[in-house]
Amino acid sequence: MKDYEPLTSVEIQERRRARIVVIIIIVILVAIAAYLYWAFNPNRPVDYADIQEHFKYGSIGSEPANGIPYWIFKVMPDMFPEKLPGKGYASLGFIEEPGKDLPVGFSVRRVIVDRVGLNCGVCHTGTVRENASSQPRVIVGMPANRLELENYVRFLTACAVDPRFTVDNVMTAIAARTHLGPIEAYIYRTAIPLTREALIEQGNRLSFINNRPDWGPGRVDTFNPYKAIQFHWSMEHDDSIGTSDYPSVWNQRPREGMQLHWDGNNTSVDERNKSAALGAGVTPSTIDLDRLKRIENWLLDFKAPAYPYSIDEALAAKGDPIYKQHCASCHDFGAQLVGTVTPIDKIGTDPHRLDSYTYTLAVNQNMMYAGYPWRFSHFRKTDGYANMPLDGIWLRAPYLHNGSVPTLRDLLEPSEKRPQEFYRGYDVFDQKNVGFVSNIAAEGGHQFFRYDTTLPGNSNRGHVYGTTLSPEEKDAVLEYMKKL
Amino acid sequence: MKAKTRKLILRLIVVVVIIGAAAGFVAWYKLFRQVPLHYASVEDQFKYGSIGAEDQAGLPYWIVIVLPRMFPEYLPRPGGFSSVGLVWEEGHELPIGLTKKTIGFDRVGINCAFCHTATWRATPQDKPHIVLAAPGHQLDGQKYLRFLYACASDTRFNADDILKEIDRDTKLSWLDRMLYRYLLIPQTRTALLKQKEEFAWTNTRPDWGPGRVDPFNPEKFGPLKQPMDDSVGNSDMPSLWNQKARANGKALHWDGLQTSLDEVFINSALGDGAIRKALPMDEFQRLKAWLIDLQPPKYPFTIDQPLAARGSQVYAKQCASCHEVGQERTGTVIPIDEIKTDRHRLDEWTQGAANAYNSGAGGYTFNTSHFRKTNGYESSPLDGIWLRAPYLHNGSVPTLADLLEPEVNRPKLFWRGYDVYDQSRVGFISSGADAEKTGFRYDTSVTGNSNQGHLWGTDLTQEDKKGLIEFLKTL
Repeated sequence: MKDYEPLTSVEIQERRRARIVVIIIIVILVAIAAYLYWAFNPNRPVDYADIQEHFKYGSIGSEPANGIPYWIFKVMPDMFPEKLPGKGYASLGFIEEPGKDLPVGFSVRRVIVDRVGLNCGVCHTGTVRENASSQPRVIVGMPANRLELENYVRFLTACAVDPRFTVDNVMTAIAARTHLGPIEAYIYRTAIPLTREALIEQGNRLSFINNRPDWGPGRVDTFNPYKAIQFHWSMEHDDSIGTSDYPSVWNQRPREGMQLHWDGNNTSVDERNKSAALGAGVTPSTIDLDRLKRIENWLLDFKAPAYPYSIDEALAAKGDPIYKQHCASCHDFGAQLVGTVTPIDKIGTDPHRLDSYTYTLAVNQNMMYAGYPWRFSHFRKTDGYANMPLDGIWLRAPYLHNGSVPTLRDLLEPSEKRPQEFYRGYDVFDQKNVGFVSNIAAEGGHQFFRYDTTLPGNSNRGHVYGTTLSPEEKDAVLEYMKKL
Repeated sequence: MKAKTRKLILRLIVVVVIIGAAAGFVAWYKLFRQVPLHYASVEDQFKYGSIGAEDQAGLPYWIVIVLPRMFPEYLPRPGGFSSVGLVWEEGHELPIGLTKKTIGFDRVGINCAFCHTATWRATPQDKPHIVLAAPGHQLDGQKYLRFLYACASDTRFNADDILKEIDRDTKLSWLDRMLYRYLLIPQTRTALLKQKEEFAWTNTRPDWGPGRVDPFNPEKFGPLKQPMDDSVGNSDMPSLWNQKARANGKALHWDGLQTSLDEVFINSALGDGAIRKALPMDEFQRLKAWLIDLQPPKYPFTIDQPLAARGSQVYAKQCASCHEVGQERTGTVIPIDEIKTDRHRLDEWTQGAANAYNSGAGGYTFNTSHFRKTNGYESSPLDGIWLRAPYLHNGSVPTLADLLEPEVNRPKLFWRGYDVYDQSRVGFISSGADAEKTGFRYDTSVTGNSNQGHLWGTDLTQEDKKGLIEFLKTL
């Protein structure tokens, strides 16, 4: 080692100057990085303080893997209006609330650019009206009685495969709505073809839904898309039909430990929720557990809304003992059989949904959330359908798992007297029969869905409990059930 | 000045040593750290416990998780690992027979239960009944291996594509990601492709099909370094229960090439990919003790007791001398000229291979001294025979009713691997649309698949046959 020569004053000055330049450059770089991070933050959801707003518009983490860039989502109805039955996403049964940018069930999260994903609210928020001229009342936690999810999937696929879905065309459509900055515009030009590819792939994986009876509003095939999307199974030789109604999601605390899902395939509320979140587009690594937890905690004690129309209390009181005798043992909280599965031979309802869920699927689900303490371990293959508690049953029409019986009054009729055909998707309430009005084919240009009970998966047979009651008894028990 | 230099050098050395030690520790922790895997119940140990097959042949856990989703086209049908016949219990992370052991990183190997777990159902709507230590008649081990080889041969088996799939499932730490990217993914690919090469001889021979394996050629051509030949050893997986009826020098394996159960454990584990130093000998003793006493499951359907009682007379006269425990010929090797069944499995094993094993070839330096060359097939006790279909060593006869028919009347073509039970013929349903959909087309004219021989009982009257079959259900 040797001693250094002392520096000259010029050298010292030069060094100082160099140091200042370096510091300035670093400061500028940090500022740019901070700006870029702020502007294109890899993960920043839009939050809502109000829990119901969070349920309707908050994120559960479906955007990073399956989100659609915000502006693409916005301009698709502009570019392809002919692929929608009416104006905008609302024509697919999505609920648009005044003053809201997106329909209920869509959340926004910035993942480089804002992306739009689905949340719990999309399938579990519905509307009800007293009559054709009254305003719809939006009710969170009830089945999405008007939502045509299958047609939404079809719309996305149809847009993606359309030759007009090009970078230039989409950018032009976006320019008609907003001005993108240069960086964002560049990102969008990359994102458009990627989005298109992803939507086409989703359409291919789900193409089997087109070989089956239509879901119509308020229904979804839960576990067949699961096979295709989560496990990439070919559906070529799988002709099962799992189409069934969306359930209500309120009042979860007393449901813990019950056999959940229509066929009772899972007894863990937590696992059922994480499974449903997969359906909305999260993956085990992108799920936003904190934001989901907010919803889960709230739903534990969030109660079904009370029946808002008049109730004949005297008649309801007469119905009480009839209900206790004929319904309570399977449907009351605390009853012996509630939340257990009634074997298919006994319940006698359409078996397709049951058969669509297989032992093989159940065991493969054990790999979902692998590596986490909440890895799935509660899925089971069952042999029937679960006895559900009937809280808020007035809002859960049409009835039976496949939504094949429009009203409670029809359900109390033997299956040959239940309607062979009816319309779903109308939200005007039928106070006399308890359910939604089901004999109106169209309103204001919007065609309702003609439900044909002769199609596979749509049978209205089975669950004959109460069908032998006298007309007076039926009136009474119906009146009582409005109070549940 | 000098002291300063020395101090600096000393400091440098300390820093280097600390960094080196830290790196060494991390490497040990991430690659070699053994986390013991012990299950309190012996059944769980059998189903999910390690037999030492993870150290070398174990696959990195996250690769196992994503492969079925990435390459479903290489599996026989939708259903992930279930589609090759692996038995999967509700609630369990991995199918029975796949183990998850941490040796630095989580690795997945196989164990005894991979081949020795069966399912049966009374009707196609039922959930499978799972029976441990039964022949895995529905398990297609060859399809499992070929799936892995096909994945490894695909251009998408690369770090980018596999990590993209893993990212869907979990958030790997930076270190684990580097490990997977630069070590585990490329190394797994190389190892699988090498194994594919080593197993190339299987591609020119008849398929094993479900429930069968070529048990000794892999070792013969591999570690025992015997010359390549064109032998076909395809034969059924056996049941493992009730070993006490097979103890004390009785013939083990179809041709009785072994007489020591301990050695069977060891050579089977090595065949599953275990390495010598990883063999858990204590666990083997525990499993052995369990298998010595484990009784086969009772026939689950109704039995016509008076008919069975009549059949017991027929059994005593026709079958007992070779198949009843304690009888003179039970557990001995019946010469091939006498039994006259397909001789391929017998001819697969050679004196040279036995010598090689016994003299410790391929690093097998156990006191393996009981390998031998025989001239026939063993006559095994018939415990739990109802669940050991199809019959004969090569599984060439689907049901007991067929086995009691003369050769010309036995089915020439049938489907195996379907697990719905055939109560009338005793065996699994082996024809019809459902069996054909999930089963393996078994052609008895294919090399090694002959259904000839073992003619005892074929000349009985219809009545005696009925009685005998009814009695056999009780075993």
